[in-house]
Amino acid sequence: MTTLEVRGLVKDFSLRSGLRQSRFRAVDDVSFTLTPGRTVALVGESGSGKSTVARMIARLERPTSGEIVATRSDGTRVADRDYRDHVQMVFQDPFASLNPFHTVEHHLARPLKLHGRVKGKADTRREVERLLERVNLTPAGDIAGRRPHELSGGQRQRVAIARALAPGARVVVADEPVSMLDVSIRLGVLNLLARLQREDDLAVLYITHDLATARHFSDDILVMYRGRVVERGPADEVILNPRHPYTRILAAAAPDPEARDRDRLGDALGLKPAGDSALPGDDPGCTFRDRCPSAMEICARRPEDFEVGQGHHVRCRLRPGDDDGARPTGADTTAGRPV
Amino acid sequence: MTNINPSAGAVEDGAPPDTPGGTSGAGPAVRRTGTSGWRAMLPRWSPKLGVGLGLVVAIALFGVLGPMAVGDPDTVRDIGMTSPGGEFWLGTTQTGQDVLAQLAHATRGSLQIGLLVGVLATLFSAVFGVIGGYVGGAVDEGFSLFSNVMLVIPGLPLVIVIAGFVPVERRGWWTIAVVLAVTGWAASARVLRAQTLSLRNRDYVAAAKVAGEKPWRIISVEILPNLLPLMASQFVFAVILAILSEAGLSFLGLGASNSPTLGTMLYYAQNGFALQYGAWWWFGPPGLVIALFGCGLSLINFSIDEIIDPRLRTVPATGRRARRTAEGGGPRKRKASPAPRRDAFGRDAVLTVENLDVVYRGERPTHAVKNVSLTLGRGEILGLAGESGCGKTTLAYAINRLHRPPAEVTSGTVVFHDRDGTDIDLLALEKEELRAFRWSKLSMVFQGAMNALNPVISIRAQLEDVLTTHRPGMSAEERRERCAEVLRLVGVDPRRLDSFPHELSGGMRQRVMIAMALLLDPQVMIMDEPTTALDVVVQRGILREILRFRDELGFAVVFITHDLPLLLEISDRIAVMRDGEVVEYATAEEIHKRPRHPYTRELLDSFPSLTGERGAFVRTGESGARERTETTVKTVKEAGPR
Repeated sequence: MTTLEVRGLVKDFSLRSGLRQSRFRAVDDVSFTLTPGRTVALVGESGSGKSTVARMIARLERPTSGEIVATRSDGTRVADRDYRDHVQMVFQDPFASLNPFHTVEHHLARPLKLHGRVKGKADTRREVERLLERVNLTPAGDIAGRRPHELSGGQRQRVAIARALAPGARVVVADEPVSMLDVSIRLGVLNLLARLQREDDLAVLYITHDLATARHFSDDILVMYRGRVVERGPADEVILNPRHPYTRILAAAAPDPEARDRDRLGDALGLKPAGDSALPGDDPGCTFRDRCPSAMEICARRPEDFEVGQGHHVRCRLRPGDDDGARPTGADTTAGRPV
Repeated sequence: MTNINPSAGAVEDGAPPDTPGGTSGAGPAVRRTGTSGWRAMLPRWSPKLGVGLGLVVAIALFGVLGPMAVGDPDTVRDIGMTSPGGEFWLGTTQTGQDVLAQLAHATRGSLQIGLLVGVLATLFSAVFGVIGGYVGGAVDEGFSLFSNVMLVIPGLPLVIVIAGFVPVERRGWWTIAVVLAVTGWAASARVLRAQTLSLRNRDYVAAAKVAGEKPWRIISVEILPNLLPLMASQFVFAVILAILSEAGLSFLGLGASNSPTLGTMLYYAQNGFALQYGAWWWFGPPGLVIALFGCGLSLINFSIDEIIDPRLRTVPATGRRARRTAEGGGPRKRKASPAPRRDAFGRDAVLTVENLDVVYRGERPTHAVKNVSLTLGRGEILGLAGESGCGKTTLAYAINRLHRPPAEVTSGTVVFHDRDGTDIDLLALEKEELRAFRWSKLSMVFQGAMNALNPVISIRAQLEDVLTTHRPGMSAEERRERCAEVLRLVGVDPRRLDSFPHELSGGMRQRVMIAMALLLDPQVMIMDEPTTALDVVVQRGILREILRFRDELGFAVVFITHDLPLLLEISDRIAVMRDGEVVEYATAEEIHKRPRHPYTRELLDSFPSLTGERGAFVRTGESGARERTETTVKTVKEAGPR
């Protein structure tokens, strides 16, 4: 069993436009822990930095600062050269994540060999077929010889999941694993991930922009906005009882057949139309305050985490939803509970 | 991307269009390759390829076997300048040498040079282009600089200098080959670098890194095979270029001194005044061999290009012919019954589609739209729901006559009922009428339309362009006013008119596209996944605008998406499509409360409710039921094309 701990993760990209060089903070002080048998959902819109977090965990990007530490169940830290045995990733686009030139077998056999899990041809073949059967791709012998273009999107994503399992990964980062798939097969793929997680006691980071599946398929939800985690907590708490203004808007914006006619009545939330951020790239204050319906002057200062419920944290001074306004819960407004 | 080819089922939507060896034209189940990995890389048989291969193989055989069959090419005889015939099939030179014998040896010499240059140039370009492109950073900058410098050095003069620098007696054929290779690789290296830069950002390369592959293995196993068709094409091109350059050099007297090539043969013919004596048999054959060999290789290159870009594959142009026969009383039924002029809510109909069929012609014709009938009421929002490859985009395109061959409307009618009471048969409109009709009465917002704005032209110019085309009578002042008005309508500050597309966010660009569709006050707007690429919050804003326009301006909307909950929320009626058929067509209320078709129910079940109960499928032991459902769907899906 492996636990993955992310501490104070920061990623800066430098942008060059002409001679001017500017810094863009894609991920700002993100911390969380993935534990075996639990799924954490990282939710946010495009550009919120959620994929950058995934790529840093998969060691495709180097963090500017912060730490990513994998720990075995016996408490020893996973060495750098073993890291990839423990942490694997499922990519968003199954049409791009499989090499069109190679067969399914190649995609699964390579990681098996690289991580020394098989010896000899027959053993490899057997293990490849076992992996394919685990992800419900049968007949495995037939599928193994096929090339990606001979598979449907859902089948490809199953191959990609099998590939992530091949090195015996204990931590799986799934970056929007179903957003490119047809709607009728999305839940099937998510259920497959959930089953594999149960069977292998995996720690899963599920990255998505879809609140509904985040709620149904994860235990905890982190909501990211422009690089920062603005709200975190148990899935149902965050979705059914959102406290950060951004989470509330996000939840309210999701299509809901029961809410016909609401758009004709106007928007009660008072959301300003999304535009380009008016805030400078290194602004220390709340990144949402330029769109927030209830922004105050104090929001220009760096926001802190407040615990608003059991394990439910929100990074907003207002904490809307508190029945009696901005009552500091057990703490002074300036001395919140930074986590 | 549009659903150009529904035959590919779920596979085609979103597939990278430039996948080397990708078979967007072939569908998922055409080939059962088994273990042979190279079949996808081979060019498809075509007359071009046949002729090209024939020429190249014939000339190569002549070059390889010819010299053994003919006599000594250097034997001097006293029968100079005899025309072809008798003992000497191709006549003799001024000094009585056998032209045929010379030709055979010269062909061999030229082929040797071509082959060596091809191999060397491809090798150089692969090393500098692929390694530089993959490694990046300083190595890439260095390699790029080097190949750019090689590229700007004028090739032929350099070759002349180098060739002239090497003493004549040491100027063998391989010297010439090396000189040509050194001056000829740079352009290919640049192309390979660009392609490698794109490939190295593919997810499968990232996946290989995550799996722990070493860089050299990623280059050789993951990237290089996908470059092979490109490299093959460059190799062929290098061979042609080498043979031609060598001929040029030799003709100038700078060629190989000790070995015969087609170029040296021409050189001697020139020096022997072959042209002046009218000895065509002396200079004709070598010139012809060069021309035919170059021609053959070029033809082969066409076929290789088709592997690199499958879109080049020509589809038999049956479109026009078939339509003509249809109009001449063929299968397409013209104006069957008088169209119903009212929709289900008693509103006037604005668009009636009846029994529409669209077929993609090809090796395996695909019936993309099957007998679809829809009625769009004035001011109605009609939702068209379905998954990729179900034919919903094809249907939208066919309504607007935007479909291109191989797609073809084989039967059915599309009638637009104008505000002033006239009926317009869209399928019968001639080119000019169609152009005037589109956009002014029926406009369209395409999938990913925000990327359809021209990046180098300001928003204002792009909007005004529509007005100048369709409303020539408008004054400049009126045009400006109208553009500002539509932008205000979609919630974009009119000051943004002078911005360029890249200065706007994705949501704003999409709003600009909607503004453009609104410019001419159309009666129908077809929106194909207008919000799929956008975030939910932005999507919400745009939906709000669409509903408001519908109420204020009274136009009808055909809203195409796979997002059924969204349609349930905004549309009046919904048509659920699957495999080209409308399987259920009812009011949104009806579909939400009482879905009839199992597929509709399945689609509805695919969207867990945000706030509702956690379903049985979620993270419990019962999830197996769900997985089984998917398996059955999958089999149904795949049964189609196979």
